[in-house]
Amino acid sequence: MTTIVAIKSNDGVVLASDKRASKGFFVGSKDVQKIYQLDDSLAAAIAGLLSDAEYLVNLAKAERRLVSISRGFPMNVRESAKLIANIAYRGLKAYQPFYAELLVAGIDGQGAHIYSTDVSGSLIEEEFASSGSGSPIAYGVLEGGYMKDLSMDTAKQLAERAVRAAMERDPGSGNGVDILAIPLNGSASKVSKRVN
Amino acid sequence: MATDNPYRTPFFYGPEGRLIQVDAALEAVRRGSTTVGIKTNDYVLLASQVRPARALMQAPEKVFAIDEHVGASGSGYVGDLLHLIDEARVQAQRYRLVYDTPIDIISLAKHLGNYFHSFTLYAVRPPGASVILAGADQQGVQLYQIEPGGSYFNGMAATIGQNSETALEIIAKSYSEKLSLDDGIELTTKAITEAAGEKVNIGFGVVRKSVGKFEKVQHEVTAS
Repeated sequence: MTTIVAIKSNDGVVLASDKRASKGFFVGSKDVQKIYQLDDSLAAAIAGLLSDAEYLVNLAKAERRLVSISRGFPMNVRESAKLIANIAYRGLKAYQPFYAELLVAGIDGQGAHIYSTDVSGSLIEEEFASSGSGSPIAYGVLEGGYMKDLSMDTAKQLAERAVRAAMERDPGSGNGVDILAIPLNGSASKVSKRVN
Repeated sequence: MATDNPYRTPFFYGPEGRLIQVDAALEAVRRGSTTVGIKTNDYVLLASQVRPARALMQAPEKVFAIDEHVGASGSGYVGDLLHLIDEARVQAQRYRLVYDTPIDIISLAKHLGNYFHSFTLYAVRPPGASVILAGADQQGVQLYQIEPGGSYFNGMAATIGQNSETALEIIAKSYSEKLSLDDGIELTTKAITEAAGEKVNIGFGVVRKSVGKFEKVQHEVTAS
């Protein structure tokens, strides 16, 4: 279905994803955008039903803008992730779950943060995380390679390795790697690598 | 019957087919602090009189960002104005969610107009404030005024609040489509100062066509 990875570095956060959309046993698309930049300081990687995930991301985007304009200072990463988790929880309780798992990663006044949310509406802060059908394989690479206070470059390389490994063995992941880095200082940068 | 004493049934038609609640709301606007807007070829500018606050209290904001590309100000009951600003802000985001694009100014003006209007149909009162919108969209820079009855107007200049007629006269005398931003600030300052009858604090907001973003300009502290 997907492999998405998020890693906290000493200088910000890194998100990586594959680019395959599976439609049953068919490759629905080879060029899917699974990492959404909500604004300059926050992004989310999505796994699961694309439409449900996009809905949650768009809601968070709108609420962030509204709150920022209304109160004069921006929402932090936890507030944004909690907003999404609350909606997911409500969906589950109403027997209409949002089939999406998100890795919400970004920077705010208190530094760099990664949160993972799932169908149940749980919210967990992590140093590194993976989600989607390829995540067990990605975690194998992350467990071997992660250390506290990685540099941004090392974190980017590790994230890419984790997604590539998952693409080798998970039929639900493939076709390329997207990497988004949000540094504590400076602007976000995105790289997209096709894999044939 | 409504015609016996219209103040017994203020939520229905009054004599001569007037809506008493709308008239009263317009009167509340007339008593509010003066707010003006001007539009030229290059920008839309909002300027609003800021009435002094109590000792040790900060004077309230009068110029508000609605979204990145549009701002607003108004005159009348400040509580009602704040409520309308919130409504405009939410509508701007709602529009983005539905259409994935920033709201155009006429749609925002229409939404506020409809919002005002919905209070005139039932036994409630409409908000006692008029709003002036300044924004940029696909069609250029826009200036809109929305009133308690639900009607909205666009144009090159708008003035509401205390002595708004005086303010409009002053603007009309020196207005030109080619007015520079500095001259526009000077002209609106003059208009508000004359309307207030003394030097007062003024808050400004501008959307430049070349930039497309709403920017607040610091309070010009003209009174001590």
